[in-house]
Amino acid sequence: MGKFLLLAFRNVFRNRRRTVMTLMMVGGGVAGLLLVGGFFARMFWGLRESTINDGLGHLQIFTAEHFNREEKHVLDTGIDNWRQVAASISTGGHVRGVAPRIEFNGMLSNGVKSGVFMGSAVDPAAEQTLGFTARLASGRDLDSKPGGEIEALVGAGVARSMNVKPGDGLTILAVTSDGALNGIDVQVVGVVNTGFKEMDDRYLRITLPSAQRLLQSDRVTNLVVGLDNTDNTDLVAAQLAPRLQGLPQQLVLKKWIDLAAYYKQVRSLFSTIFVFLGIIVFFMVLMSSVNTLLMAMFERTREIGTMLAMGTPRSWIMALFVLEATLLGVLGAVAGVIGGNLLGVILNHAGIHLPPPPGTTSPMNFRVMHVPSLMVGSSILVIVSLALASILPAIRASRLQIAEALAHV
Amino acid sequence: MPELVSVEAVTRRFPLDHNFVSALDHVSLHVARGEFLAIAGPSGSGKSTLLNLIGCIDKPTTGRILIDGVDISKLNSTRLTAVRREKIGFVFQTFNLIPVFSAAENVEFPLLVQGIDAKERRSRVAAALESVGLSARANHRPDLLSGGERQRVAVARAIVHRPALVLADEPTANLDTLNATQLIDLMHDLNRTLGLTFIFSTHDQRLLEHTDRIVRLTDGQVVSDTLTSETLSNEGSFAQPAMQGGSHGQVSALSL
Repeated sequence: MGKFLLLAFRNVFRNRRRTVMTLMMVGGGVAGLLLVGGFFARMFWGLRESTINDGLGHLQIFTAEHFNREEKHVLDTGIDNWRQVAASISTGGHVRGVAPRIEFNGMLSNGVKSGVFMGSAVDPAAEQTLGFTARLASGRDLDSKPGGEIEALVGAGVARSMNVKPGDGLTILAVTSDGALNGIDVQVVGVVNTGFKEMDDRYLRITLPSAQRLLQSDRVTNLVVGLDNTDNTDLVAAQLAPRLQGLPQQLVLKKWIDLAAYYKQVRSLFSTIFVFLGIIVFFMVLMSSVNTLLMAMFERTREIGTMLAMGTPRSWIMALFVLEATLLGVLGAVAGVIGGNLLGVILNHAGIHLPPPPGTTSPMNFRVMHVPSLMVGSSILVIVSLALASILPAIRASRLQIAEALAHV
Repeated sequence: MPELVSVEAVTRRFPLDHNFVSALDHVSLHVARGEFLAIAGPSGSGKSTLLNLIGCIDKPTTGRILIDGVDISKLNSTRLTAVRREKIGFVFQTFNLIPVFSAAENVEFPLLVQGIDAKERRSRVAAALESVGLSARANHRPDLLSGGERQRVAVARAIVHRPALVLADEPTANLDTLNATQLIDLMHDLNRTLGLTFIFSTHDQRLLEHTDRIVRLTDGQVVSDTLTSETLSNEGSFAQPAMQGGSHGQVSALSL
C-alpha cells in the first residue's frame, strides 16, 4: 500500500506544469469559497449580534396567549406579574439582565400634522444594563429617572415628517387597555437612526411608566433577557424553561432566532447564494479535471498496458487513478485553505467598506471570518469533485486492451 | 524436458475495415521448459501477435494455447491476470519501465502485485539486480540509466518473481551492438543458471546467433523451426526434426 501511495504521489508531480495549473484551479476554488463564505459568515455574525444588541435580546418571554390570539385591547395578552418573573429569571446563570417592554401603537401629532407610530416602552436602566443603546442621530437617550416632562425618542423619519428636533414637543394618542382613547404630551430628547428607513418613519420610544400611564395598564408585553454570550442561548433557555412553569399565567420562552425574521431571511438568501457558488466551483473543478486526468491517462497508456501485462489487477489501475486525483484534491485543498486564509487576513487589514446592504442605511465593513467548518467543507467539496472527475479516466485506464496499450505510441 | 508451452493450430484474425486480416494462421508450436527460443521473421509476420497470445494478453480466434498444461484460451480475465502475474515475465522493446520509480522499485513492482512481504521483496530485488549487474544503480530512476541498463532492469523485473516463462518482444531493437550482445549473454546466462524458459521475438541476427532454437514466421505461418548444432549435440533427445546442413539443424515447415 505504501509503494502504491508513493507511486500515486510521484505520478501527481510527473507533469509539474499541469499539476501546478490544476492545483491553482482547485486551490483558487477553495480560496474563493473561503473568502465568500468567510465574508458571509462575518456578515451573519455581525447581523446576529446587532440584531440581538439592538434590543431583540437573546431570549424573550411572552404569555402563551400572545401567540394564540389577537389582542382585543392593548396589553390584553400582556404579562401581569412581570416583576416576579423578571426577578426569578435574573438569578439564572449567564443572565446579564431582564428588560420589560411594551409594544403599542397609535398616533402622534405636532399640532399641525398627525401620523401613526409603532411605539415601544422600555426601562432605560434595564436597557442600559443589557447594553441596548439606541442609535442616536442627535440628542440623548431616555433618562432612567426623568424630571417633569415625559421623554421620547423618535425615528429620523418621524422627526423629519413631524419637523421636530430634540427639545420639541409632540402629542401621542393611543387606545388604553379599557378601549378608551388617551393622550400624553412628550418631549423629544433624541432622534434615532435604526438603519431601516421603514422603521425610522414609525419609530417612537418612551419610558415604561409613561406607557403604562398612557395605556392605563400595569402589564408589559414581554420580558427581554440578555445573556453574556449568544452561544449560551440554548443552554440558558433549557435552564429557564422550568422556572416559567406553574405560574398563574402560562408563559413561553422564545429564542432570538425565533424572532429574528430579517436575520433568517438574509441568512437564507445568502446561504442559497453560497450553495449555488459551491455548485459552480464543484462543476468547474469536475469538468476541467476530467480533461486533465484523461490527458494524463492517455499519455500513460503504454505504462498502464505494461502494468496490466505484469498481472496488475484492473481494480488497482482504477484505484491508482482515483488515488492520484484524490491526492491532487487534497494538495489543492491545502493550498486553497492556506491561500484563502492569507488573502482573508490581507483583506481584513485593507479596511474595505461596502455600500449599505438593501433596506439599510449604514455602510458595511468588508471583513472575512476564518471558519474551520468552511475550510473542511470546501476541502471535502473539491476532493470529492476531483475523485469523481477521476472515475471516467480510471475506468478507461482499467479497461484498456493490453496488446493495444503496449502498442500505443 | 517437460513441455511448458503448447500452441495448437492457433489462428488470430483482426478486423480491418469490413474484412479480417490473419496475423497468425494455424500456428502450432511446442516449447519445453528451459528452452531459449527465438521467433524470427520480418515485420508483420506475426511475431508480436504470437508472443501476445502466449503471454495471455490476447486471445486466439481459433485454436488453443496451453501453459503448464492449462488451456489459457478458456480462462476468464481474472485467471489470465493471475497466470501473467505468477508464471510470466515480460521484457519489452522500449523497456517500459515506470519512470517515477527507481530501478529497484521497478524490479519490485511484480512482487508488490503478488503481495509478497517487504522483507522478501527487498531480498529478491537485490538478488535480481545483482544477477543483471545493476546493484550499484538500484536507486537510479530510468531517465538516469543508459538504454542497456534500462533493458537489464527490465530483465531483472521480468525474472524477479521467478516466472516459468520470460517473453521478450524485440529486446535488442533499441540497443547498440555492445549493449545488445551483453543483453543476449545475460539472458542466456539466466536461461542456463536459473533454468528459465525464454521466448523472444527478433530479427536481430546478433541475437539469433546465440539462440538454441529459431522459429521463423512468414505471413502468420511457421515456415521453419530450427535447432542449433550445439543444442542438438547437447540435447539430442529434444525434438524429432531432421537436420539440414550448416551450423543450424533446420526443420522445415514443421506442423507441430
